Amino acid sequence: MKTKIGHVAALGLLMITTAALAQSKPVAGEVAEGSLKGKTLTFVSYGGIYQDGQIAALKEFVDKSGVTLLSDGPTEISKLQAQVESGNVTWDVVDTGDFPPYVYCGKLFQKLDFSKIDTSNIPEGQISECSVPAMNYGVVLMYNTEKYKDNPPKSWKDFFDIEKFPGSRALEGSGDLSGGMIEQALLAAGGSVENMTVADIDKAIEKVRSLGPDTIFWKTGADSQQLAESGEADMIAMWTGRAMTAVKNGAKYTPAWQDWLVVMDQMTIPMGVKDPDAAHALINAYVGKSAQETLAKTTSYTPIHKDAKPEVDEITAAFMTNTPDKLKLGYQQNIKFWVENFEVANEKWNALMAGN
Amino acid sequence: MRAIDSRNTVPAVAADDRRRWFRGQAFWLVAPALLLLVICLGLPLAIVTLRSFSEPQWGWQNYAWFFGTPVNLTVLQRTFAISAWVTLVCLIAGYPYAYVMTAVGPKMRLVLILCVLVPFWVSGVVRTLAWVILLQDSGVINSVIRAVGLGPVKLIRTQTGVVIGMAQVLLPFMILPLYSVMKTIDLRLMQAARSLGASPARAFAQVYLPLSLPGVYAGAIIVFILALGFYITPALLGGPRSTMLSTLIQNQVLSLLNWGRGGAMGVVLLIATFVLLALAAPLSRQPHKTGSRR
Repeated sequence: MKTKIGHVAALGLLMITTAALAQSKPVAGEVAEGSLKGKTLTFVSYGGIYQDGQIAALKEFVDKSGVTLLSDGPTEISKLQAQVESGNVTWDVVDTGDFPPYVYCGKLFQKLDFSKIDTSNIPEGQISECSVPAMNYGVVLMYNTEKYKDNPPKSWKDFFDIEKFPGSRALEGSGDLSGGMIEQALLAAGGSVENMTVADIDKAIEKVRSLGPDTIFWKTGADSQQLAESGEADMIAMWTGRAMTAVKNGAKYTPAWQDWLVVMDQMTIPMGVKDPDAAHALINAYVGKSAQETLAKTTSYTPIHKDAKPEVDEITAAFMTNTPDKLKLGYQQNIKFWVENFEVANEKWNALMAGN
Repeated sequence: MRAIDSRNTVPAVAADDRRRWFRGQAFWLVAPALLLLVICLGLPLAIVTLRSFSEPQWGWQNYAWFFGTPVNLTVLQRTFAISAWVTLVCLIAGYPYAYVMTAVGPKMRLVLILCVLVPFWVSGVVRTLAWVILLQDSGVINSVIRAVGLGPVKLIRTQTGVVIGMAQVLLPFMILPLYSVMKTIDLRLMQAARSLGASPARAFAQVYLPLSLPGVYAGAIIVFILALGFYITPALLGGPRSTMLSTLIQNQVLSLLNWGRGGAMGVVLLIATFVLLALAAPLSRQPHKTGSRR
């Protein structure tokens, strides 16, 4: 009898310690069985194949935790702002672009509790106070191989040099600021990205303008893919995922990886969500190895878990940006500068976009 | 003539009674629509206007910014110019079409109405993307032009492309009001004019055209106002030099969370539209006068 009680006590103690350990040290991708039963989380992202892939990546989390996962979108910061201001936040975890978690940290997005998220496998320099990366991709210079046969462009410098490399150009004009692109234009204009000033933004935008009136500013990813597949532009600054799809569809374009621009989506938790613990648990599950492999397999975006090895075909693998050789060539924008000068940079960029 | 007069032959007393009854009850008939307008249009509009004066602090700052930034004025002017072009294209394409609809038999008319409405049921994004494929440099239209030997014409990412795409989307809004007016025009009036010695062109210009003008004004105003607020079509078919005001508003609100400036832009567009319509109003009264004089 005594031994039996001791047994039970030991077992109980063991269970408590495991629970306590689980509490204090989360493991990416793990969630306690049935821990979120009866709870509901709303995950918001940009829709399409991407969000489907994210939901697929979270399936294990949903099955195990017992949570009801709702999907909403697309992400719009203005909608989120309206929710936060009215005190009725229905979005629990939100996938955003590069800058919002920096610009609105502590205002629209809450500071994350990193004792609840295992970030040990996320590539360096990608975590902020209010966000962890949702995936990685890049903006890469794609050029028409038939046009530039023996003398292909090698870098953004060549992209901005219409004398040595005649031909039409296309770059992103979706409305979101691309700090990395402006920095490359500045470098091509002979400027320096050390100690950038607002005057440097003008100099860079002047360089973009010098590409001429036929420059195309694509609005959507599909738009850029269409440009490559129909051969409308000779050099295109493209998202890696769209570049890959275009190549798969037979576009005669090849990437020049030098200084490809590192881009990521961010996972965030808005201010005032009803159950921050559950939201943290979702993010912790999302950054797990197998979840990231599922995400990469379904969306062909690059996983943000160092050890993730998604099974993908050859072309998809060629456009994954987490290989050591590509990481070496990648270019990180000066997030601090762009966040500090967010409004003025946007105004100048939007004036260019509006034809002025 | 009799066809027109017969509409006004209700005895005067009965009409008076009816009007009196109507004055009492009419409010309740329009109440649901009015309520919807107040809640879904009036209230948000009031909030947007308020925010344009109150953010970031009280004052005219957002309006000062709007009129002090050259790009805003360029785009405002462009928005009105593109809308005017779209209205003109719709009118030129829609007028003969609506006329044919009144002249053919009922079966053919059904086919013509369907031809107008079917594209209307297709999502605007899908239709616009179809235009991308048609208008692009290596697209169908340019292949034909090149085959004829006229060389490639820049259509996509130009104002021409935007006007073509928008005109197609808005065509039903021109054709339907035109048709509803034209079908009430007694075609025997034209025969009468001809029998009195008018040439076909003169009969059209002096009889048919004035009678159809109410439809022209109704269609033109609907198309013009809808065109002012267009967003997807100019964004996808246009380039920087065909950006319209809605895109700038979207940027302010969605990318910069600057509701004050976005609101100010909306208010400016609204007021400019009102002013323009007020200027056009005397024009639309003209045909009524000729009508009563007859």
